[in-house]
Amino acid sequence: MLDVKASSGGGVAGELGRSLHTRSGRSFDRRTRLSFYNRTFKVICIASAIFVCLILFSILFLMGRTGMLTFNEVSVAEFFFSTEWVPENEQYGALVFISGTFVLTALTMLISVPISVLVAVFLAEMSPRWLRTLLRPVLDLLVGIPSVVYGFLGMTILIPVLRDITGTNIGDGLLAAAIVLTIMVLPTISRISDDAITAVPKKYRDASYALGASRFQTIVKVVLPAARSGIMYAGILGMARAIGETMAVVMVIGNTPQLASALFQPTAVLTSNIVMQIANVPFDSTWNYALYMMGFLLLLISLLMIVAIRMLQRKGAVS
Amino acid sequence: MSAESKSAFASRKGWSHKRNQLFTMIVWAVGICTILFICGLLFLILQKGLPKLSLDFLYGLPSEIDPGGGIGPTLFNSFYVLIISLLISIPLGMSAGIYLAEFAPDNTFIGFVRICVEGLASVPSIIFGLFGIAIFVEVFQVGLTILGGAVSLAFLNLPVLTRVTEEAIRAVPSEMKNASFALGGTHLQTIRRVLIPVALNGIITGICLVAGRAFGESAVIILTAGVSTSGEMWDFSLFSPGATLAVHLWYVQSEAIVPDAAEIADKAAAVLVFVVLLINVLFRLPLLLHVRRTR
Amino acid sequence: MKTKWFKHTLLTVLAVAVAFGSVSAASAASKLNGKIVINGSSALLPLTLQAANEFKKKNPKVKISASAAGSVTGPQSVRKGIADIGACDWDASLDVPGFKAFDGQVANKVAVIPFAAVVNKGVKATNLTTKQLQGIFSGKIKNWKEVGGDDAEIVVVNRAFGSGTRVNFQMKALDGTNFMSKGDNYKEVKSSGDMKTAIETTPNAIGYIDLVYVTDKMRALNINSYAPTEANIISGKYTVWAYGYYMTKGKPTGAVKAFIEYVQSKEFQNGSLKKLKFIPISAMKN
Repeated sequence: MLDVKASSGGGVAGELGRSLHTRSGRSFDRRTRLSFYNRTFKVICIASAIFVCLILFSILFLMGRTGMLTFNEVSVAEFFFSTEWVPENEQYGALVFISGTFVLTALTMLISVPISVLVAVFLAEMSPRWLRTLLRPVLDLLVGIPSVVYGFLGMTILIPVLRDITGTNIGDGLLAAAIVLTIMVLPTISRISDDAITAVPKKYRDASYALGASRFQTIVKVVLPAARSGIMYAGILGMARAIGETMAVVMVIGNTPQLASALFQPTAVLTSNIVMQIANVPFDSTWNYALYMMGFLLLLISLLMIVAIRMLQRKGAVS
Repeated sequence: MSAESKSAFASRKGWSHKRNQLFTMIVWAVGICTILFICGLLFLILQKGLPKLSLDFLYGLPSEIDPGGGIGPTLFNSFYVLIISLLISIPLGMSAGIYLAEFAPDNTFIGFVRICVEGLASVPSIIFGLFGIAIFVEVFQVGLTILGGAVSLAFLNLPVLTRVTEEAIRAVPSEMKNASFALGGTHLQTIRRVLIPVALNGIITGICLVAGRAFGESAVIILTAGVSTSGEMWDFSLFSPGATLAVHLWYVQSEAIVPDAAEIADKAAAVLVFVVLLINVLFRLPLLLHVRRTR
Repeated sequence: MKTKWFKHTLLTVLAVAVAFGSVSAASAASKLNGKIVINGSSALLPLTLQAANEFKKKNPKVKISASAAGSVTGPQSVRKGIADIGACDWDASLDVPGFKAFDGQVANKVAVIPFAAVVNKGVKATNLTTKQLQGIFSGKIKNWKEVGGDDAEIVVVNRAFGSGTRVNFQMKALDGTNFMSKGDNYKEVKSSGDMKTAIETTPNAIGYIDLVYVTDKMRALNINSYAPTEANIISGKYTVWAYGYYMTKGKPTGAVKAFIEYVQSKEFQNGSLKKLKFIPISAMKN
């Protein structure tokens, strides 16, 4: 009976503990002391949890409030739809950076998701056991490599190579940034997709093979669809990382506020523009507010993704 | 089994068989190539930098004009900032995680708190940098300092630690908890003596992850702790400018004017990667071995 | 066992950190006026750092930390209270085109900074006229063969808005002509060091930088047939130069004052400053 009751949830178990300790105290002194500790501990825990929420809200509030000040001087339409970012002439059109961020992220996903899924399939379905046990921790380690290192690699190795291959003059631009980001998010996406594919019950595969399907058919028609929500989750996580990445992008994107019409044209994204300019601006200027507004946009995009992940999880739980 | 199905249908479905083989080959090729490629890049970094390392470099002061500068203060700052940020974020993050796993009632408010934690975990690091500037530079007017960097970094780590702790504690079998309660343990005793020790493996893995991330984080530090150091070793002042190794790597590669910038960058990158790998391996290895032994 | 070990380590770490924290906080408070933070112009950075090194040898108790991100950052940081000295390539206490005056700040003249138009080592052209420079930096001249080089597209590297080098180069080398702001072969960089890396590593690139940054992987161009040398600047033939200033909040005091005085001293002006290819203020006649 104890088991049934306890396993029905942490809250119930908490009740149980309290009821037990109030009855078990032989010495009154010890009982009050223990209950005092317990209560204090609980209060500390609650305070910490609230603190975490508080940080999120103060960030949201601060970024939103400072960001909104932009629109005292700049019209909403100009901020979102103008490509002219010339702070010295009071022109604050952020379209270049917003579209830059979206295009870069899309490009990164376009390259990284197919490769990552193939790597995940390789890890989960095809590689021999010893290779798998070797590679999984290696990928886990790769997830932790600092982004600035990837930027450094991009700057010193990738860009000269790109210049040679394509014959362009500068080499900085969307493609270079997308490749660097791909290398960066690849371990994350593959590892989570790998977990999702491994979690597909074995009986699905057995059934598919029993129906005479080849391995290709089994994986493409049965395993991957079954792991779909997990793979999408991985993709969104990778996307969040790619959108928020700063230094690796700064080092290879060229940092020039112009709308990119080609893959090799120096351009800028939200994050890179913020980090390049924030040190130069006075606090009480529209320029500063506009940078905070761009930060606020980033924040909204990333929060939106969390909502998307939540919805995915709920859908996954229902089906 | 897959081999069986292949051979059984090989004769009848030639196209399907070929496609299957092609697919297998592609997956093998892509899988192996990608992983080898990324590992190769890391190996390249280590191989370019590590052999040239010397104690002078690791301990030396960075130089801005003459060749031969070291990374001493930045390396020190990296660890100093990391430790301060962990000191702030571990207690807070762990207790918040314990609350969510153990005390929190299952209602909409707590669901909302969870979304907050997840949301905070996905906030891009540069936002924490902007937040840090707004707090420390604009409101408190202390300028770009180690303290500002460490606190901003702690905020960045907090949600991850909370989630990791929550998940690790939830994963503890309920039999263990019930046994503790049955022995008359209070909730606090149960958490301290049973839940945390059992969940320690997961928590330490999480701390590792966070520590590695914090060690390599650059955007937050550039915005809140600056790109320079106080120029001396063992400067424990919380109000010194606190460029870390990751920032220094960026600075040297893209901005510095020393003639041997490329070499310094090579070596700094190698040290950075090496330390991050070391943090992961050192902390996880004993745990892995421990798990093996107890099984 | 394991928890005990964990707890002990945690406690030790905590104690050590608290001890360090309190000690350092105390020491920071007592030495407060012995700390100088310098930010701003990257053109002046080499000078600042050299001066800081020499100054620290004489005054071991003073801590100096210097970094650079562009001229406007200097007075900006002084106003924000991030820095004690803001290095700037123009007199930021006055209005200049594009920048408002920073009220309450005092400009301390410290050096003459010569600027040079620089190209990647592979570029053949050695001399450009003002007209040609204007054409290149406004985007009208797109190929090196139009100005006496090989048949290759010109890659223009420009400093981002806020740079003192940019302001001075525009005023003095381009006679105020506006820069281009977009293009396939156009890139903006944040600081002088950034510019140096870009010019060194990008084939067919042209940019501008102060003379101290010119390395053997790039080449400084003659402008209107005059090389950027000290003699040509003093005689007035090479006109692309500017005074460098240290901006302070009000009149400098304490360690900051001592440091600025050291930089302005004969000993430093005629010694290290000259070695770094800057020119002493006293050499200029006007």
